[in-house]
Amino acid sequence: MAKVNPDFSETLKDYGAFDLTACYNCGTCTAVCTLSDEENSIPRKMVRYGVLGLEEEIQSSVDPWLCYYCGECSTSCPRQAGPGELMMSLRRYLTASYDWTGLSRRFYTSKIWEIAAIMLLSALILVLFLLFHGPMTTELTPQGGVQLNTFAPWKRIETGDWIMAGILSFFLLSNIFRMYRKIFHGPQKIRVPFRLFFTQLWELIFHFLTQWRFSKSTRTTRIGRKELKISPYWVSHWLLMSGYVLLFTMIVVFLEWFQTDIIHPWWHPQRLLGYYATFGLAFGLIFFVYGRIRRDQENNKHSHYTDWTFLVLLSGTVITGILVHIFRISGLPYATYYTYVLHLMILFPMLMIEVPFSKWSHLAYRPFAVYFNGVRNAALKIKK
Amino acid sequence: MSENRGSIKKKKIGVYICHCGGNISDYVDVEAVKDAVRDHPGVSLVKTTMFTCSDSSQVSMVEDIRENGLDAMVVASCSPKLHLMTFRDVARRAGLNPYNYIQVNIREQSSWAHSDHPAEATDKAIHLVKAGIEKARRLGDLNPMEIEAVNRAVVVGAGISGMRAALELAGMGTEVFLVEKEPFVGGHTSQWGKVFQGEARGDEIVERLYNEVRTRENITLFTGAGVTAVKGNVGNFEVTLTLQPRGVKERLTEEEFAEAVQACPESVEDAFNFGLMRRKALYDRGDRSFPALQAIDFGACTQCGKCLEAAHGKIDLEQPEETITVQAGAILVNTGFDPYEPEKGEFGYGEIEEVITLPQLERLMELQPGKLVWKDKEIRHIAFIYCVGSRQPEGKNTYCSRYCCTAAVHAALRLGENYPGIKTFHLHKGMRTYGKQEVLYDEASRNGNVFLQFAEGTQPEVRKNGQGVEVRLHDLLTLGKEIEIHPDLVVLVTGMTARNDPGLVKTLKLPVGADGFFNEVHMKLRPVETVMDGIYISGTCQGPKNITETMTSSLAATAKANALISKGTISLEPNLAVIDEEKCVWCGKCDEICTYGAIEKVKKGDKEVARVINAACKGCGACLPVCPEDAIELLGYTNEEIFSMIDAIAEEIRFKEKHKVEEEVATPAATDEDWHIKVEKLDEKSKKILRTLQEEPRAVPEIAGETGIPVKEVMYRLMSLRKYGYVKDTNEINEDEYYTYALSDMST
Ligand SMILES: Cc1cc2nc3c(=O)[nH]c(=O)nc-3n(C[C@H](O)[C@H](O)[C@H](O)COP(=O)(O)OP(=O)(O)OC[C@H]3O[C@@H](n4cnc5c(N)ncnc54)[C@H](O)[C@@H]3O)c2cc1C
Ligand code: SF4
Ligand code: SF4
Ligand code: SF4
Ligand code: SF4
Repeated sequence: MAKVNPDFSETLKDYGAFDLTACYNCGTCTAVCTLSDEENSIPRKMVRYGVLGLEEEIQSSVDPWLCYYCGECSTSCPRQAGPGELMMSLRRYLTASYDWTGLSRRFYTSKIWEIAAIMLLSALILVLFLLFHGPMTTELTPQGGVQLNTFAPWKRIETGDWIMAGILSFFLLSNIFRMYRKIFHGPQKIRVPFRLFFTQLWELIFHFLTQWRFSKSTRTTRIGRKELKISPYWVSHWLLMSGYVLLFTMIVVFLEWFQTDIIHPWWHPQRLLGYYATFGLAFGLIFFVYGRIRRDQENNKHSHYTDWTFLVLLSGTVITGILVHIFRISGLPYATYYTYVLHLMILFPMLMIEVPFSKWSHLAYRPFAVYFNGVRNAALKIKK
Repeated sequence: MSENRGSIKKKKIGVYICHCGGNISDYVDVEAVKDAVRDHPGVSLVKTTMFTCSDSSQVSMVEDIRENGLDAMVVASCSPKLHLMTFRDVARRAGLNPYNYIQVNIREQSSWAHSDHPAEATDKAIHLVKAGIEKARRLGDLNPMEIEAVNRAVVVGAGISGMRAALELAGMGTEVFLVEKEPFVGGHTSQWGKVFQGEARGDEIVERLYNEVRTRENITLFTGAGVTAVKGNVGNFEVTLTLQPRGVKERLTEEEFAEAVQACPESVEDAFNFGLMRRKALYDRGDRSFPALQAIDFGACTQCGKCLEAAHGKIDLEQPEETITVQAGAILVNTGFDPYEPEKGEFGYGEIEEVITLPQLERLMELQPGKLVWKDKEIRHIAFIYCVGSRQPEGKNTYCSRYCCTAAVHAALRLGENYPGIKTFHLHKGMRTYGKQEVLYDEASRNGNVFLQFAEGTQPEVRKNGQGVEVRLHDLLTLGKEIEIHPDLVVLVTGMTARNDPGLVKTLKLPVGADGFFNEVHMKLRPVETVMDGIYISGTCQGPKNITETMTSSLAATAKANALISKGTISLEPNLAVIDEEKCVWCGKCDEICTYGAIEKVKKGDKEVARVINAACKGCGACLPVCPEDAIELLGYTNEEIFSMIDAIAEEIRFKEKHKVEEEVATPAATDEDWHIKVEKLDEKSKKILRTLQEEPRAVPEIAGETGIPVKEVMYRLMSLRKYGYVKDTNEINEDEYYTYALSDMST
């Protein structure tokens, strides 16, 4: 029994869906979707659930996570019902529904909440620096670099990092647990042999590292005369993702090694890894920001304000990060200090808001969805 | 009309055998046909022609007739469907009575049917032509019957369909008596607000038609009236109208009316509002009353007289019922439909408060323009259930009501416009917003109205749920999942049904279909005519229609009616039944079988006899075989004419038969044993039939009953068994008045 919520389609509009009730169930979208298969038929089913407002069914479904928004369905939809954007909005909605704090829903449905939260977290960083920063020495290191570790000792920063990582993990993991509950203990109850959670574990790791499904979904693009077999979306996304993960690991786990006052030669792994990560992030960012400005594809035409918040914060972080590096090795102490504070004032709210409550949570939800889906389908197969 | 019964006459007959390009002559040896019939009695001229229907050929036929003084003509060519009228015209142009013309079809019946056997095709053609000649020898002149027609029509029902018809007829110069059962005109359309498609309101359409009707001098409108008897026939019906008293002589002013209504103690359910409220016995339809004169519902009024004081002499409770009789050339039936009334408990109707019908919703919207409230609760969510009383798997209402998908979608659009925030769910069985109406469906689905589809053979379920109501269905569009909706109101999209008016059906003697609607003669070719000449049907009394379709059919009927009666006379085919009053004993069998009511009982001297009403007879011939006295003949197809044709065809066959019999006779005389050997050769079914006859003679239905062989098959098997001498007629009838058959003498 699935209960209709007549007001749901309105709610979903806050999450970015539009015109979904125009859908007349032709199924074209599902027919053209390269990721739709027998086990997970997308996206018409989800469009229908959205139209009727079958909330329980939606919340217990992994399907929205299996879509990588190539936009093929939206382009083909004879009613311009925007099935692709609907899947996007459902991902936002699911993120909000996994989140037990309710903050995610606030951020997705209220600009004021989101901006206020960013301001507050930035202010917190500023206050912490005012209280705890070290001496702002103008003395340079023998190599002529800025003594950043004197102004912001890595030990102190690392403590902060660990506290932040703890908080992030707590929220994210508890939300993933709720995701698990909804999927496996929703209206469609499935008995899953426990071992499947181990045998399917490779999916989680594999998809986290490669986003393999993404590479299968997105269209190849034409460059000049040549049909590019590898999707530029996937490449850009992978570069961005790998850069981010690398940097996050270096900041949280290897800060002592990463935030040093020594200026290593250019081939030193510390510099090379840093440059690679910066390049990956910057490339991805430019690609996606440019797309969202051009609005020439289905998947970048309809930007929710939270998409922009994310891109702006991440760009801010990357730009200030690059500047800190340049100022430090160029021996500009004050510029380095102020930019460093600014860097953290952008970075901190970005991670605190985006990772557990907003767009960036998909870095966990997507591989987990693929993993849960694998477990579920394997369980269903056994049942048969 | 000639009283000729087709006895043989000395005639000069011209015979034309057509090549039809090669269509005929490629298989049938036309020259051989010509030679074979040249010396046939009565034939004075035979020709073959390449295309008999060509202009040049027609011209020379006219000359032949004139020069040779021919008095009958046979053309052996194609089907009479194609050229009967062409050659009748040739005869007429040559001064010959056109009914002295016979067309023999040797194309479809010989050359095309037997193209693999040209010799036999030729042989058959010869026989067919001879049969035609034999008939031609016996033909007499016939003349189309001219009857007088009154250029006046009675239009029954003054809904939009009746009023449109009346206006159109009046415009073409036909006088109209427009008869409406209710005190107010307009029918159902006057109950609707904005109607699809376009911007017009239903009541506005009615108002416009009514205002126009009032200005026409040659339309007489009777409200509160009905047709209670019809006599006569096409061109000259005698129609009896019964006029109910209205009770109100002069319009009451608003104050008088309010006060009189206040005083009236009797109230009934208000049918105009589909029972959403009650009204008094003295009532009107507010500013939607056409005419604007109030009326008294004498079904409800007890004549207590309490309203009289306030009415200042404008009410008369003693008005009598009146009947008047009018002559009319045609009758147009436009009595409309009734919305389907769900059974108690059908989708919770009548049991759950929140369940209403689409017509009720329409009225509710009219009564509550600002805010839609049902049982003190503001309505936010509505579930429509489609096809209620239509498209049912069995019973009377298996048809689609056509108007309702669009009306429901249109209602949803208006709900959205007039009561922002209302959301609707449409539980349908496959949408049928055909033609241009599709754009409304498109608009409605884009506007956030949700459509769900239940499968043929399943139905949504409506149940009480605490304070409210819940609807469940298996939605085809959601993978067949069971879906549960909790609306504030459930609207049953009820279909159209035929009006339950057996009196009218009986008075007009019109056939009705299994669905209860009046039947036309031919859905495609004669869509507004009935089997009763001069009686037309249009609008929704004929079947479900929306307003546009209603108007269209109504205009078609007026065109047909006016064309028929406006010339003053109507000419009818002369192929009619005639009854020999000497032989007739009035058993009434012909009257029973005639579906056109063309037989009347008349006094002839001191006995009663049947007489054919010429204007009503269609010449179908159904009465001929039932007459035990053989008193009926069909002009143009008299017994003698038909027998002569059979003889001509059978001539050769009889000859062949004779040879066969002679051969048989030459062999030793038939014995019991031979009989058995002969029977052994028959197939199982024929043996079975013979076995049933062993005890005693039996009639066809009895044999069919005993053997389980269908009646038709028994019939033709018997005929061949008789032909080959296994059985014979007894010339006796059983208790059920069927002829019986017995084993032939050979068997004994
Ligand atoms: C809820 C609903 C909504 C609709 N909405 C639309 C719409 O938006 N657009 C549209 O195109 N169509 C609509 N329709 C269809 C429309 O109402 C019909 O097509 C139209 O009313 C048919 O007109 P009619 O004259 O054939 O029949 P009726 O309207 O039934 O009129 C017949 C008239 O004949 C009279 N009568 C009956 N029997 C006798 C008798 N024995 N003697 C004398 N008089 C008699 C009746 O009193 C009545 O006045 C709707 C129908 C329904 C039920
Ligand atoms: S293609 Fe569009 S209209 Fe068709 S089912 Fe998908 S969303 Fe609906
Ligand atoms: S956007 Fe692409 S992947 Fe997503 S549902 Fe549509 S077609 Fe499938
Ligand atoms: S028009 Fe629609 S609701 Fe009416 S009977 Fe036909 S299919 Fe059913
Ligand atoms: S021929 Fe037909 S229509 Fe004429 S009287 Fe006989 S049964 Fe009636």
